[in-house]
Amino acid sequence: SLRNGATGQGQSTPAICSSSCSCDEDGGADCSGKGLTTVPTGLSAFTYYLDISMNNITELPAFVFKTFPYLEELRLAGNDLSFIHPDALSGLHQLKVLMLQNNQLKTVPSTAIKNLYSLQSLRLDANHITTVPEDSFEGLQQLRHLWLDDNSLTEVPVGPMRHQANLQALTLALNRITHIPNNAFANLSSLVVLHLHNNRIKEIGESCFTGLENLETLDLNFNNLMTFPEAIQALPKLKELGFHSNDIAAVPEGAFHKNPLLRTIHLYDNPLSFVGTSAFQNLSDLHSLMLRGASMMQEFPCLTGTNNLESLTLTGTKIAAIPVELCEDLKVLRTLDLSYNEIEELPSFQGCLKLQEISLQHNHIQQIDRDTFQGLSALRLLDLSRNEMKTIHRDAFLYLTVLTNLDLSLNSLTSIPTTGLSSLNQLKLTGNLQMKNVFTAKSLPKLRSVSVPYAYQCCAFVGCDSSTSSTDENIKKRRDKKFIEKDVERISMVMHCSPSPGAFKPCEHLLGSWMI
Amino acid sequence: RQHKQNPGVSSGCQGGCLTCSDYNGCLSCKPRLFIFLERNGMRQMGVCLPSCPSGFYGTRSPDRNTCTKCRPECDSCFNKNLCMRCRAGYYLHLGKCQESCPESLVCSDTQRECV
Repeated sequence: SLRNGATGQGQSTPAICSSSCSCDEDGGADCSGKGLTTVPTGLSAFTYYLDISMNNITELPAFVFKTFPYLEELRLAGNDLSFIHPDALSGLHQLKVLMLQNNQLKTVPSTAIKNLYSLQSLRLDANHITTVPEDSFEGLQQLRHLWLDDNSLTEVPVGPMRHQANLQALTLALNRITHIPNNAFANLSSLVVLHLHNNRIKEIGESCFTGLENLETLDLNFNNLMTFPEAIQALPKLKELGFHSNDIAAVPEGAFHKNPLLRTIHLYDNPLSFVGTSAFQNLSDLHSLMLRGASMMQEFPCLTGTNNLESLTLTGTKIAAIPVELCEDLKVLRTLDLSYNEIEELPSFQGCLKLQEISLQHNHIQQIDRDTFQGLSALRLLDLSRNEMKTIHRDAFLYLTVLTNLDLSLNSLTSIPTTGLSSLNQLKLTGNLQMKNVFTAKSLPKLRSVSVPYAYQCCAFVGCDSSTSSTDENIKKRRDKKFIEKDVERISMVMHCSPSPGAFKPCEHLLGSWMI
Repeated sequence: RQHKQNPGVSSGCQGGCLTCSDYNGCLSCKPRLFIFLERNGMRQMGVCLPSCPSGFYGTRSPDRNTCTKCRPECDSCFNKNLCMRCRAGYYLHLGKCQESCPESLVCSDTQRECV
């Protein structure tokens, strides 16, 4: 809507505009992408928004914006700008947003921006800045957002930021920074977001984050950190922490005990071999924890006080046992992935009432007891493949009334209980070589896909292939009549069974073992 | 909004496009530009921009620069959790958009901030 401040009379007047721009009556002028080589003239003095991005302006001469005293937003992105005269921006006392990204600047135009007292957002990203003069941001007392990402900085510009008490967001990502000195951000008491991802940071000072008492987001992803960033202990308000894709081998005991508000921690793609059992305690806002490949880890992490975890992934460790009281802490857990560990025995998951997915494949589990999955009425997916299971209690699946996917393949089972599996849609039993009996699915009304150890077991589901030879014709006639009547109605319902019987895998169970 | 015809780009690709298709516009952008998917009826048209449009924030990475939506109550944001300008009816305080301001501050409708 029209802004009285801009025009002074309160009526709408036809916008004064330049031929290479389109102007609106609010004082906005869009001259972007017009192949301009200089700042357009003939625009209204009341222009408050000027977009001349994506043109070919390579230099800004002195006083080029002196006719725009009300300008609040100036967009100069994508112009191949390589030189800004020290007086180019003088007079822009109301400028709040200055966009200089995607240009060819080699240094911060510190003199040119010195008197922009109202400036709140300064974009200098995607230039070729290698140096930040000490006085770069001196006059900018209102500065809140500063982009310096995607440049060629080799160190954190500590001096230039020393007086930026109002700065809320800073990105130094995609530069060549190799270390963070102590007290690098000491006076940035209002900083909420700090991005340092995609640098070459190898080591950081123990007190490098001192002073950042309001920091909520810290992104250290894609660096070369060798040790855990203990400096985060200076960040009491931290909510989001990322240090994935680094070279960190260990997460120490009590790693996050000074960061009680943490909601997300991204630490994947690190050569983790050790994780302190007390590292993830008392993080009541943490919703998801993903730990992969901490190969030396032997003890299950203690999660007391981390009672709002919805997703827990802990794979590729030497963990052999799950704490019995796990579900006393994790009442809202929805997905649990403990695959590729060395777990031998399962506790009862009874308290984890919200559990929807459990992945336990590739462990050493030998049996499933009656109460292992008791009460899990929300469980939809259960993967127990690649274990050493010999027995499953007949009531083990009694409560899994919404389970749709069950994978028991590659175990040592001879039979499986089906009571309770009324919603089962997909069942995998491949690789249970002792399971030779003919498998009937009377109590699995919703079954759509099943994989069984032997082809002949599929005959109960899909009938035999019509192309079988005449000798098979005779075998078919001699099949047990009662068997067919009971399941005729069921057979057409099951869409897929593998391995499917065929000429060389006849349905008849010949001489006790069809393999002969 | 920003299509600049570059002589070096085949006629099919405009502005900062690196690869494009007639049906979906830009599929990838020249280095350092953000790819943004404009909705065009049922179609999505890729465009390459030096900064993401209002209501979106940019994330740079070595191989692709993307635009992600701000929170609904935010018109312009630095990232998901830090707003720079709120929608009408909300007031900015320490990077968050709120429907009212703390006691010691006043709601400014023109600036949409707690001042």
